[in-house]
Amino acid sequence: MRDGSRRLAILDQLQAAGGDLDTKRLCDVTVEITGASGAGIMLMSGDTQRGSICSTDDVSALIERLQYDLGEGPCVDACRLDRPVAEPDLAAPGSIRWMAFTPPAVAAGARAVFGFPLQVGAVRLGALNLYCDEPRSLTNGQHADALLMAAIAGQAVLVMQAGAPDGQVASELEARADFQYVVHQASGMVAAQLDVSVTTALVRLRAYAFGNDRALVEVAREVVAKQLRFDTRSGEDDPAP
Amino acid sequence: MPREALLARTLVELADTLVDDFDVVELLTLLSDRCVEVLDADTAGLMLAAPQGDLRVMASSSEAMRVLELFEIQSQEGPCLDAYRTGERIVNQDLQAVNGRWPRFAAEALDAGFHSVHALPMRLRGSVIGALNLFRSDAGEMTDADVHVAQAFADVATIAILQHRAAQEAQTINEQLNRALNSRIIIEQAKGMVSERLDVDMEQAFTTLRSHARNNNLRLADLAEAVIAGTVPASSLVAPAPEEATDT
Repeated sequence: MRDGSRRLAILDQLQAAGGDLDTKRLCDVTVEITGASGAGIMLMSGDTQRGSICSTDDVSALIERLQYDLGEGPCVDACRLDRPVAEPDLAAPGSIRWMAFTPPAVAAGARAVFGFPLQVGAVRLGALNLYCDEPRSLTNGQHADALLMAAIAGQAVLVMQAGAPDGQVASELEARADFQYVVHQASGMVAAQLDVSVTTALVRLRAYAFGNDRALVEVAREVVAKQLRFDTRSGEDDPAP
Repeated sequence: MPREALLARTLVELADTLVDDFDVVELLTLLSDRCVEVLDADTAGLMLAAPQGDLRVMASSSEAMRVLELFEIQSQEGPCLDAYRTGERIVNQDLQAVNGRWPRFAAEALDAGFHSVHALPMRLRGSVIGALNLFRSDAGEMTDADVHVAQAFADVATIAILQHRAAQEAQTINEQLNRALNSRIIIEQAKGMVSERLDVDMEQAFTTLRSHARNNNLRLADLAEAVIAGTVPASSLVAPAPEEATDT
Protein backbone atom coordinates (compact mmCIF):
# COMPACT_ATOMS: atom_id res chain seq x y z
CA MET A 1 0.00 0.00 0.00
CA ARG A 2 1.28 3.45 -0.80
CA ASP A 3 1.66 6.11 1.84
CA GLY A 4 -1.36 8.04 0.64
CA SER A 5 -3.79 5.14 0.95
CA ARG A 6 -2.23 4.06 4.26
CA ARG A 7 -2.81 7.51 5.63
CA LEU A 8 -6.44 7.47 4.46
CA ALA A 9 -7.01 4.07 6.05
CA ILE A 10 -5.55 5.30 9.36
CA LEU A 11 -7.54 8.53 9.32
CA ASP A 12 -10.65 6.47 8.58
CA GLN A 13 -10.05 4.40 11.70
CA LEU A 14 -9.36 7.47 13.80
CA GLN A 15 -12.65 8.95 12.68
CA ALA A 16 -14.61 5.71 13.07
CA ALA A 17 -14.91 6.35 16.80
CA GLY A 18 -16.60 9.68 16.11
CA GLY A 19 -16.36 12.66 18.34
CA ASP A 20 -13.20 14.55 19.09
CA LEU A 21 -9.76 13.15 18.59
CA ASP A 22 -8.14 12.31 21.90
CA THR A 23 -4.74 10.95 22.81
CA LYS A 24 -6.15 7.58 23.90
CA ARG A 25 -7.72 7.05 20.48
CA LEU A 26 -4.31 7.66 18.87
CA CYS A 27 -2.79 4.88 20.99
CA ASP A 28 -5.74 2.52 20.48
CA VAL A 29 -5.60 2.87 16.69
CA THR A 30 -1.84 2.31 16.74
CA VAL A 31 -2.42 -0.99 18.52
CA GLU A 32 -5.18 -1.97 16.06
CA ILE A 33 -3.14 -1.30 12.93
CA THR A 34 0.16 -2.77 14.12
CA GLY A 35 -1.16 -5.79 16.01
CA ALA A 36 0.99 -4.82 19.00
CA SER A 37 -0.06 -5.60 22.58
CA GLY A 38 0.05 -1.99 23.72
CA ALA A 39 1.15 1.51 22.83
CA GLY A 40 1.96 4.78 24.51
CA ILE A 41 3.06 8.27 23.58
CA MET A 42 5.78 10.06 25.51
CA LEU A 43 6.63 13.73 25.21
CA MET A 44 10.26 14.78 25.34
CA SER A 45 11.99 18.08 25.01
CA GLY A 46 15.60 17.79 24.04
CA ASP A 47 16.94 15.03 26.28
CA THR A 48 14.34 15.59 28.99
CA GLN A 49 11.45 13.17 29.38
CA ARG A 50 8.27 15.16 29.98
CA GLY A 51 6.01 12.22 30.72
CA SER A 52 3.39 10.08 29.05
CA ILE A 53 0.35 11.62 27.40
CA CYS A 54 -1.44 8.28 27.01
CA SER A 55 -0.96 4.55 27.18
CA THR A 56 -3.28 1.67 26.34
CA ASP A 57 -2.60 -0.62 29.32
CA ASP A 58 -0.60 -1.11 32.50
CA VAL A 59 2.42 -2.58 30.71
CA SER A 60 2.76 0.31 28.28
CA ALA A 61 2.25 2.73 31.17
CA LEU A 62 5.11 0.95 32.98
CA ILE A 63 7.30 1.11 29.86
CA GLU A 64 6.79 4.88 29.73
CA ARG A 65 7.28 5.27 33.48
CA LEU A 66 10.52 3.27 33.44
CA GLN A 67 11.89 5.47 30.68
CA TYR A 68 10.93 8.58 32.62
CA ASP A 69 12.67 7.26 35.73
CA LEU A 70 15.76 5.81 34.07
CA GLY A 71 16.26 8.03 31.04
CA GLU A 72 16.74 5.05 28.74
CA GLY A 73 14.60 2.83 26.53
CA PRO A 74 13.11 2.70 23.03
CA CYS A 75 11.29 6.08 23.16
CA VAL A 76 14.29 7.88 24.57
CA ASP A 77 16.52 6.40 21.86
CA ALA A 78 14.02 7.01 19.03
CA CYS A 79 13.74 10.65 19.98
CA ARG A 80 17.45 11.12 20.63
CA LEU A 81 18.62 9.28 17.49
CA ASP A 82 15.80 10.69 15.38
CA ARG A 83 14.91 7.31 13.88
CA PRO A 84 12.79 4.24 14.66
CA VAL A 85 14.26 1.87 17.23
CA ALA A 86 13.34 -1.83 17.46
CA GLU A 87 14.15 -4.60 19.90
CA PRO A 88 12.27 -7.68 18.62
CA ASP A 89 13.45 -9.90 21.49
CA LEU A 90 13.83 -7.90 24.66
CA ALA A 91 14.64 -10.94 26.83
CA ALA A 92 17.47 -12.02 24.52
CA PRO A 93 18.52 -8.83 22.76
CA GLY A 94 21.01 -8.86 19.89
CA SER A 95 23.06 -6.21 21.61
CA ILE A 96 23.20 -5.16 25.24
CA ARG A 97 21.41 -1.89 25.79
CA TRP A 98 19.00 -0.40 28.32
CA MET A 99 20.57 -2.26 31.25
CA ALA A 100 18.21 -0.74 33.80
CA PHE A 101 15.10 -0.59 31.64
CA THR A 102 15.11 -4.14 30.28
CA PRO A 103 14.74 -6.42 33.38
CA PRO A 104 11.62 -4.74 34.83
CA ALA A 105 10.09 -4.33 31.34
CA VAL A 106 10.57 -8.05 30.58
CA ALA A 107 9.28 -8.99 34.03
CA ALA A 108 6.12 -7.00 33.31
CA GLY A 109 5.56 -8.93 30.08
CA ALA A 110 7.13 -6.81 27.35
CA ARG A 111 9.01 -9.19 25.02
CA ALA A 112 9.47 -6.84 22.04
CA VAL A 113 9.58 -3.04 22.10
CA PHE A 114 9.60 -0.39 19.37
CA GLY A 115 10.05 3.36 19.42
CA PHE A 116 9.06 5.82 16.66
CA PRO A 117 10.00 9.50 16.84
CA LEU A 118 7.10 11.96 17.02
CA GLN A 119 8.20 14.57 14.60
CA VAL A 120 6.67 17.41 12.60
CA GLY A 121 9.20 18.87 10.19
CA ALA A 122 12.27 19.67 12.24
CA VAL A 123 10.29 19.75 15.49
CA ARG A 124 10.80 16.75 17.76
CA LEU A 125 8.00 16.20 20.23
CA GLY A 126 8.71 12.80 21.73
CA ALA A 127 8.11 9.22 20.67
CA LEU A 128 5.42 6.65 20.08
CA ASN A 129 6.16 3.37 21.78
CA LEU A 130 4.83 -0.11 21.05
CA TYR A 131 5.30 -3.37 22.88
CA CYS A 132 4.39 -7.00 22.14
CA ASP A 133 3.91 -9.75 24.69
CA GLU A 134 5.90 -12.20 22.56
CA PRO A 135 9.20 -11.78 20.73
CA ARG A 136 8.48 -10.58 17.19
CA SER A 137 9.40 -8.08 14.52
CA LEU A 138 6.97 -5.73 12.84
CA THR A 139 6.20 -6.51 9.19
CA ASN A 140 7.20 -3.87 6.67
CA GLY A 141 3.58 -2.81 6.44
CA GLN A 142 3.17 -2.53 10.22
CA HIS A 143 6.41 -0.60 10.45
CA ALA A 144 5.19 1.84 7.77
CA ASP A 145 1.82 2.17 9.55
CA ALA A 146 3.52 2.91 12.86
CA LEU A 147 5.72 5.56 11.22
CA LEU A 148 2.67 7.24 9.74
CA MET A 149 0.84 6.95 13.03
CA ALA A 150 3.72 8.72 14.74
CA ALA A 151 3.53 11.50 12.14
CA ILE A 152 -0.22 11.84 12.65
CA ALA A 153 0.18 11.78 16.44
CA GLY A 154 2.80 14.55 16.21
CA GLN A 155 0.42 16.71 14.18
CA ALA A 156 -2.40 15.90 16.60
CA VAL A 157 -0.34 17.01 19.60
CA LEU A 158 0.38 20.33 17.90
CA VAL A 159 -3.25 20.81 16.85
CA MET A 160 -4.39 20.13 20.42
CA GLN A 161 -1.83 22.47 21.94
CA ALA A 162 -2.58 25.18 19.34
CA GLY A 163 -5.98 25.67 20.97
CA ALA A 164 -4.63 26.08 24.51
CA PRO A 165 -4.44 29.45 26.28
CA ASP A 166 -0.90 30.82 26.32
CA GLY A 167 1.14 29.46 29.21
CA GLN A 168 -1.07 26.40 29.66
CA VAL A 169 -0.84 22.81 28.51
CA ALA A 170 -3.89 21.89 26.38
CA SER A 171 -6.54 20.12 28.44
CA GLU A 172 -6.77 17.39 25.74
CA LEU A 173 -3.09 16.66 26.32
CA GLU A 174 -3.47 16.71 30.11
CA ALA A 175 -6.57 14.50 30.05
CA ARG A 176 -4.76 11.14 30.15
CA ALA A 177 -1.26 12.38 30.71
CA ASP A 178 1.11 11.50 33.48
CA PHE A 179 3.49 14.42 33.73
CA GLN A 180 4.66 13.20 37.17
CA TYR A 181 3.92 16.46 38.95
CA VAL A 182 4.30 14.74 42.34
CA VAL A 183 7.97 14.09 41.49
CA HIS A 184 8.50 17.84 41.13
CA GLN A 185 6.66 18.56 44.37
CA ALA A 186 8.95 16.07 46.10
CA SER A 187 11.99 17.71 44.46
CA GLY A 188 10.95 21.03 46.00
CA MET A 189 10.56 19.40 49.42
CA VAL A 190 13.89 17.59 49.26
CA ALA A 191 15.59 20.78 48.04
CA ALA A 192 14.30 22.52 51.18
CA GLN A 193 15.26 19.59 53.42
CA LEU A 194 18.84 19.43 52.14
CA ASP A 195 19.20 23.10 51.25
CA VAL A 196 20.23 22.17 47.68
CA SER A 197 18.87 23.15 44.27
CA VAL A 198 15.76 21.42 42.91
CA THR A 199 17.92 19.89 40.17
CA THR A 200 20.21 18.30 42.75
CA ALA A 201 17.18 17.22 44.77
CA LEU A 202 15.73 15.44 41.73
CA VAL A 203 19.05 13.63 41.21
CA ARG A 204 18.94 12.50 44.85
CA LEU A 205 15.36 11.28 44.45
CA ARG A 206 16.22 9.35 41.28
CA ALA A 207 19.30 7.83 42.89
CA TYR A 208 17.30 6.76 45.93
CA ALA A 209 14.55 5.20 43.79
CA PHE A 210 17.09 3.39 41.61
CA GLY A 211 19.19 2.23 44.59
CA ASN A 212 16.15 0.83 46.34
CA ASP A 213 14.63 -0.64 43.19
CA ARG A 214 11.54 1.49 43.52
CA ALA A 215 9.47 3.65 41.20
CA LEU A 216 10.42 7.30 41.36
CA VAL A 217 6.76 8.29 41.61
CA GLU A 218 6.23 6.04 44.67
CA VAL A 219 9.24 7.51 46.43
CA ALA A 220 7.98 11.00 45.55
CA ARG A 221 4.54 10.21 46.98
CA GLU A 222 6.12 9.10 50.27
CA VAL A 223 8.12 12.31 50.46
CA VAL A 224 5.01 14.40 49.83
CA ALA A 225 3.08 12.36 52.42
CA LYS A 226 5.93 13.16 54.85
CA GLN A 227 6.66 9.46 55.35
CA LEU A 228 10.16 9.81 53.94
CA ARG A 229 12.70 12.56 54.54
CA PHE A 230 16.11 13.09 53.01
CA ASP A 231 17.63 15.03 55.91
CA THR A 232 18.58 13.48 59.25
CA ARG A 233 15.63 14.94 61.15
CA SER A 234 13.68 11.78 60.37
CA GLY A 235 15.52 9.90 63.11
CA GLU A 236 16.18 7.07 60.68
CA ASP A 237 19.43 6.50 58.86
CA ASP A 238 19.96 9.04 56.13
CA PRO A 239 18.08 7.35 53.29
CA ALA A 240 20.08 9.11 50.60
CA PRO A 241 22.65 6.76 49.09
CA MET B 1 22.53 28.73 -22.33
CA PRO B 2 19.67 26.93 -24.13
CA ARG B 3 16.25 27.47 -22.63
CA GLU B 4 15.84 23.85 -21.42
CA ALA B 5 19.17 24.05 -19.61
CA LEU B 6 18.17 27.36 -18.02
CA LEU B 7 14.88 25.87 -16.89
CA ALA B 8 16.52 22.81 -15.43
CA ARG B 9 19.14 24.93 -13.66
CA THR B 10 16.44 27.17 -12.20
CA LEU B 11 14.46 24.25 -10.82
CA VAL B 12 17.60 22.77 -9.26
CA GLU B 13 18.45 26.14 -7.72
CA LEU B 14 14.94 26.49 -6.35
CA ALA B 15 15.05 23.01 -4.83
CA ASP B 16 18.40 23.90 -3.33
CA THR B 17 17.03 26.91 -1.46
CA LEU B 18 14.34 24.69 0.10
CA VAL B 19 16.76 22.81 2.33
CA ASP B 20 18.64 24.27 5.29
CA ASP B 21 18.44 27.95 6.19
CA PHE B 22 15.38 28.52 4.06
CA ASP B 23 14.88 32.21 3.51
CA VAL B 24 11.69 33.40 1.83
CA VAL B 25 13.19 36.62 0.44
CA GLU B 26 16.19 34.76 -0.95
CA LEU B 27 13.96 32.25 -2.71
CA LEU B 28 11.74 34.94 -4.19
CA THR B 29 14.67 37.07 -5.32
CA LEU B 30 16.19 34.10 -7.10
CA LEU B 31 12.84 33.40 -8.70
CA SER B 32 12.33 36.95 -9.97
CA ASP B 33 15.88 37.02 -11.42
CA ARG B 34 15.33 33.71 -13.20
CA CYS B 35 11.97 34.80 -14.59
CA VAL B 36 13.74 37.59 -16.46
CA GLU B 37 16.42 35.21 -17.74
CA VAL B 38 14.18 32.31 -18.72
CA LEU B 39 10.97 34.06 -19.74
CA ASP B 40 10.40 36.80 -22.22
CA ALA B 41 10.10 39.45 -19.50
CA ASP B 42 12.11 42.57 -18.75
CA THR B 43 11.29 42.88 -15.09
CA ALA B 44 9.77 40.47 -12.59
CA GLY B 45 8.67 40.77 -9.00
CA LEU B 46 6.76 38.87 -6.33
CA MET B 47 4.20 40.20 -3.93
CA LEU B 48 3.01 38.33 -0.85
CA ALA B 49 0.00 39.01 1.33
CA ALA B 50 0.91 40.25 4.81
CA PRO B 51 -1.02 38.73 7.74
CA GLN B 52 -3.39 41.73 7.60
CA GLY B 53 -4.16 40.79 3.97
CA ASP B 54 -2.47 43.65 2.12
CA LEU B 55 0.03 42.85 -0.64
CA ARG B 56 3.68 43.73 -0.11
CA VAL B 57 6.54 43.49 -2.55
CA MET B 58 8.96 40.78 -1.39
CA ALA B 59 11.38 40.57 -4.32
CA SER B 60 12.12 42.32 -7.60
CA SER B 61 14.58 41.71 -10.40
CA SER B 62 15.12 45.47 -10.53
CA GLU B 63 15.82 47.81 -7.66
CA ALA B 64 14.95 50.90 -9.73
CA MET B 65 12.74 53.25 -7.74
CA ARG B 66 10.15 53.50 -10.52
CA VAL B 67 9.81 49.73 -10.61
CA LEU B 68 9.47 49.42 -6.86
CA GLU B 69 6.79 52.09 -6.94
CA LEU B 70 4.89 50.03 -9.49
CA PHE B 71 4.68 47.25 -6.95
CA GLU B 72 3.68 49.55 -4.16
CA ILE B 73 0.77 50.99 -6.15
CA GLN B 74 -0.54 47.45 -6.46
CA SER B 75 -1.43 47.22 -2.80
CA GLN B 76 -4.27 49.54 -3.97
CA GLU B 77 -4.86 48.62 -7.64
CA GLY B 78 -3.23 46.60 -10.40
CA PRO B 79 -2.87 43.14 -11.90
CA CYS B 80 -1.17 41.63 -8.81
CA LEU B 81 -4.00 42.69 -6.54
CA ASP B 82 -6.56 41.30 -9.01
CA ALA B 83 -4.68 38.01 -9.42
CA TYR B 84 -4.41 37.73 -5.63
CA ARG B 85 -8.10 38.51 -5.06
CA THR B 86 -9.50 36.29 -7.81
CA GLY B 87 -6.86 33.55 -7.85
CA GLU B 88 -6.93 33.83 -11.67
CA ARG B 89 -4.11 34.55 -14.13
CA ILE B 90 -4.05 37.99 -15.67
CA VAL B 91 -1.86 37.79 -18.80
CA ASN B 92 -1.07 39.86 -21.86
CA GLN B 93 -2.50 43.09 -20.56
CA ASP B 94 -1.71 45.91 -23.00
CA LEU B 95 -1.04 48.87 -20.76
CA GLN B 96 -2.24 51.34 -23.44
CA ALA B 97 -5.65 49.66 -23.28
CA VAL B 98 -6.20 49.13 -19.56
CA ASN B 99 -6.41 52.71 -18.36
CA GLY B 100 -9.95 52.28 -17.18
CA ARG B 101 -9.14 49.21 -15.11
CA TRP B 102 -6.03 50.48 -13.28
CA PRO B 103 -5.69 54.21 -14.03
CA ARG B 104 -2.85 55.03 -11.67
CA PHE B 105 -0.93 51.80 -12.20
CA ALA B 106 -1.19 51.90 -16.02
CA ALA B 107 0.00 55.51 -16.22
CA GLU B 108 3.01 54.88 -13.97
CA ALA B 109 3.92 51.66 -15.79
CA LEU B 110 3.84 53.37 -19.20
CA ASP B 111 5.92 56.18 -17.73
CA ALA B 112 8.47 53.60 -16.57
CA GLY B 113 8.68 52.29 -20.16
CA PHE B 114 6.57 49.13 -19.88
CA HIS B 115 3.87 48.22 -22.39
CA SER B 116 2.52 44.90 -21.21
CA VAL B 117 2.06 43.20 -17.87
CA HIS B 118 1.18 39.77 -16.50
CA ALA B 119 0.26 38.60 -13.02
CA LEU B 120 0.10 34.94 -11.94
CA PRO B 121 -1.49 33.94 -8.65
CA MET B 122 0.62 32.11 -6.07
CA ARG B 123 -1.98 29.59 -5.16
CA LEU B 124 -2.19 26.14 -3.58
CA ARG B 125 -5.66 24.57 -3.55
CA GLY B 126 -7.89 27.10 -1.86
CA SER B 127 -5.35 29.54 -0.55
CA VAL B 128 -3.79 32.38 -2.52
CA ILE B 129 -0.74 33.87 -0.83
CA GLY B 130 0.41 36.43 -3.39
CA ALA B 131 1.24 36.94 -7.07
CA LEU B 132 4.11 36.86 -9.54
CA ASN B 133 4.33 39.99 -11.67
CA LEU B 134 6.03 40.18 -15.10
CA PHE B 135 6.60 43.36 -17.12
CA ARG B 136 7.62 43.74 -20.75
CA SER B 137 8.76 46.86 -22.51
CA ASP B 138 7.01 45.90 -25.77
CA ALA B 139 3.35 45.12 -26.19
CA GLY B 140 3.79 41.61 -27.65
CA GLU B 141 2.07 38.62 -26.08
CA MET B 142 3.69 35.99 -23.91
CA THR B 143 3.60 32.48 -25.43
CA ASP B 144 1.49 29.79 -23.76
CA ALA B 145 4.68 27.91 -22.98
CA ASP B 146 6.06 30.93 -21.11
CA VAL B 147 2.80 31.35 -19.19
CA HIS B 148 3.02 27.72 -18.06
CA VAL B 149 6.65 28.04 -17.02
CA ALA B 150 5.88 31.23 -15.09
CA GLN B 151 2.97 29.52 -13.34
CA ALA B 152 5.21 26.54 -12.51
CA PHE B 153 7.76 28.89 -10.91
CA ALA B 154 5.00 30.56 -8.91
CA ASP B 155 3.69 27.15 -7.80
CA VAL B 156 7.11 25.95 -6.60
CA ALA B 157 7.56 29.14 -4.59
CA THR B 158 4.05 28.81 -3.14
CA ILE B 159 4.59 25.25 -1.93
CA ALA B 160 7.94 26.20 -0.42
CA ILE B 161 6.50 29.18 1.44
CA LEU B 162 3.47 27.30 2.75
CA GLN B 163 5.67 24.45 3.98
CA HIS B 164 8.01 26.91 5.62
CA ARG B 165 5.11 28.63 7.36
CA ALA B 166 3.74 25.30 8.62
CA ALA B 167 7.20 24.40 9.98
CA GLN B 168 7.50 27.74 11.75
CA GLU B 169 4.06 27.34 13.23
CA ALA B 170 4.94 23.85 14.51
CA GLN B 171 8.07 25.29 16.10
CA THR B 172 6.10 28.05 17.81
CA ILE B 173 3.45 25.70 19.22
CA ASN B 174 6.10 23.30 20.45
CA GLU B 175 7.90 26.14 22.22
CA GLN B 176 4.60 27.20 23.83
CA LEU B 177 3.99 23.63 24.98
CA ASN B 178 7.46 23.41 26.53
CA ARG B 179 7.10 26.77 28.25
CA ALA B 180 3.74 25.70 29.66
CA LEU B 181 5.19 22.40 30.92
CA ASN B 182 8.19 24.21 32.41
CA SER B 183 6.15 26.74 34.31
CA ARG B 184 3.87 24.00 35.61
CA ILE B 185 6.92 22.05 36.84
CA ILE B 186 8.38 25.14 38.53
CA ILE B 187 5.08 25.79 40.31
CA GLU B 188 5.02 22.18 41.57
CA GLN B 189 8.62 22.51 42.80
CA ALA B 190 7.81 25.76 44.58
CA LYS B 191 4.77 24.13 46.20
CA GLY B 192 7.09 21.41 47.51
CA MET B 193 9.50 23.97 48.95
CA VAL B 194 6.74 25.97 50.62
CA SER B 195 5.13 22.80 51.95
CA GLU B 196 8.40 21.76 53.57
CA ARG B 197 9.42 25.17 54.93
CA LEU B 198 6.00 26.13 56.33
CA ASP B 199 5.01 22.57 57.25
CA VAL B 200 1.74 22.70 55.34
CA ASP B 201 0.21 20.32 52.80
CA MET B 202 0.42 20.82 49.00
CA GLU B 203 -2.96 22.48 48.74
CA GLN B 204 -2.10 24.99 51.46
CA ALA B 205 1.28 25.53 49.84
CA PHE B 206 -0.47 26.36 46.57
CA THR B 207 -2.90 28.74 48.30
CA THR B 208 0.05 30.43 50.00
CA LEU B 209 1.86 30.95 46.69
CA ARG B 210 -1.28 32.11 44.93
CA SER B 211 -2.27 34.67 47.55
CA HIS B 212 1.29 36.02 47.77
CA ALA B 213 1.34 36.37 43.96
CA ARG B 214 -2.02 38.18 43.99
CA ASN B 215 -1.13 40.48 46.88
CA ASN B 216 2.14 41.45 45.22
CA ASN B 217 0.80 41.60 41.70
CA LEU B 218 3.12 38.84 40.47
CA ARG B 219 2.50 36.07 37.98
CA LEU B 220 2.30 32.76 39.80
CA ALA B 221 4.97 31.24 37.54
CA ASP B 222 7.33 34.18 38.19
CA LEU B 223 6.86 33.93 41.95
CA ALA B 224 7.44 30.17 41.78
CA GLU B 225 10.67 30.76 39.89
CA ALA B 226 11.84 33.29 42.50
CA VAL B 227 11.04 30.83 45.29
CA ILE B 228 13.05 28.09 43.55
CA ALA B 229 15.96 30.47 43.01
CA GLY B 230 15.78 31.57 46.65
CA THR B 231 15.28 35.26 45.82
CA VAL B 232 11.90 35.04 47.54
CA PRO B 233 12.64 32.59 50.40
CA ALA B 234 9.83 30.07 50.91
CA SER B 235 10.10 30.66 54.66
CA SER B 236 9.23 34.35 54.15
CA LEU B 237 5.79 33.50 52.77
CA VAL B 238 2.82 33.49 55.08
CA ALA B 239 0.25 30.71 54.90
CA PRO B 240 -3.30 32.08 54.79
CA ALA B 241 -5.47 31.47 57.84
CA PRO B 242 -6.34 27.74 58.01
CA GLU B 243 -10.09 28.27 57.51
CA GLU B 244 -9.35 30.03 54.22
CA ALA B 245 -6.92 27.38 53.07
CA THR B 246 -9.01 24.35 53.97
CA ASP B 247 -12.45 25.82 53.35
CA THR B 248 -14.28 23.53 50.95
